[in-house]
Amino acid sequence: MTPSASLPVAVDAMGGDKAPTEIVAGARAAVDEFGIEVVLVGPPELVGDTLGLALVPCTEVIGMDEDPAQGVRRKKDSSLVRAAELVRDDKACAMVSAGNTGATMAAALLRMGRIKGVNRPCIATPLPRPGRAPGVLVDAGANAECTPQMLLQFAQMASAFSRARHGTLSPKVGLLSIGEESSKGTPLVKETHALLAAPGAGVDFFGNVEGRDLLDSPVDVVVTDGFTGNVALKSLEGALKFLVGQFLQIFGTDESTKAAADTLLPYLLPLMAELDPEGAGGAMLLGLDGICIISHGSSSAMAMKNAIKVGHDLAVAGITEDLRTAIGG
Amino acid sequence: MPAETHTSQGPMDRGAVFELIQEQLADILEIEPGSISEGSSFAEDLDADSLALIELVEALEEELSERSAGFRIDDEDLEDLKTVRDAVDYVSAKLEAG
Repeated sequence: MTPSASLPVAVDAMGGDKAPTEIVAGARAAVDEFGIEVVLVGPPELVGDTLGLALVPCTEVIGMDEDPAQGVRRKKDSSLVRAAELVRDDKACAMVSAGNTGATMAAALLRMGRIKGVNRPCIATPLPRPGRAPGVLVDAGANAECTPQMLLQFAQMASAFSRARHGTLSPKVGLLSIGEESSKGTPLVKETHALLAAPGAGVDFFGNVEGRDLLDSPVDVVVTDGFTGNVALKSLEGALKFLVGQFLQIFGTDESTKAAADTLLPYLLPLMAELDPEGAGGAMLLGLDGICIISHGSSSAMAMKNAIKVGHDLAVAGITEDLRTAIGG
Repeated sequence: MPAETHTSQGPMDRGAVFELIQEQLADILEIEPGSISEGSSFAEDLDADSLALIELVEALEEELSERSAGFRIDDEDLEDLKTVRDAVDYVSAKLEAG
């Protein structure tokens, strides 16, 4: 299904720690700054002031701590489920949520369905590469346990995503391991290496990469299982946040460091912006017959605005058809 | 005029229930329907995880609600469904009970 990019982006107004205020503000900003049509989804009495945006009413909300599958099963009139249905029914070109990640995935999977041939959807998240187009990490946490065939599909889909999202013409794919040699790694990694390296794999396989290659990576796509990917991603986010915090503390040490900061900050601020997850625009769930953007649970208005733009831009780019072609469906 | 609670479709026999489950499961797991037998265990033989079972349940509810309004598989009963046979027996019993 290729949605018309003239359709609105459906936004789960109740998803995330800062919902609904920051979510609605982000949606409004997406309309005002990018001209993207947005429709909010949520219970009117909880959403409150929609800042003039259209609202698709519903009666339930799946909480951040609820069991994802049970939440989707029991709350069929929840903002998440209804947002996914809008995409399924061709009334929205994409859905965005900062809510319960598992429930977002379950709602999107159960309502939109998988692209034919896709074993399991995966989460593709951007890896910052200052001065260059971002890399892509898959799977960033959808599937804790994977098979080699799943990882091969993740690589194929992420390559298509890299082309559509970041304009990378011939994405190089690296397999995350504990060493560059093909003999290194778990049985899963070794079997996946063989599949990726085989003729007809459908990807430009670079070989193994290591954790230290996630930033400023020689590859455009890093493939791993969801458990490892999530750990790697959170480690990266935590390390960058720590480092930035340390720098800012050092800058505040005394008058000389403050003076140095005045000189350095104009150069550092753009770098920090590139490293800030709020600017990344969320992660996409690859493999569904529709576009689902998962935004961080603590998303601010800025993060939500950027996530909405990503969803819209991917609809314009026809990402679902690209993924279908990549899988050979 | 009272609302129709059942469609004009005839009762679904056990064989038809198995075929429905087999077809849906094959679609969900991306495997050949022929590789699914009544004796197949969801976890051990078919590698079907909890999400796949939820997909199956949702698909069955959607298909069977046309035959029997309000057809629903209780989440509490899902734990007891270990094999395809368990699912066929459960769905058949539910349909018979109306």
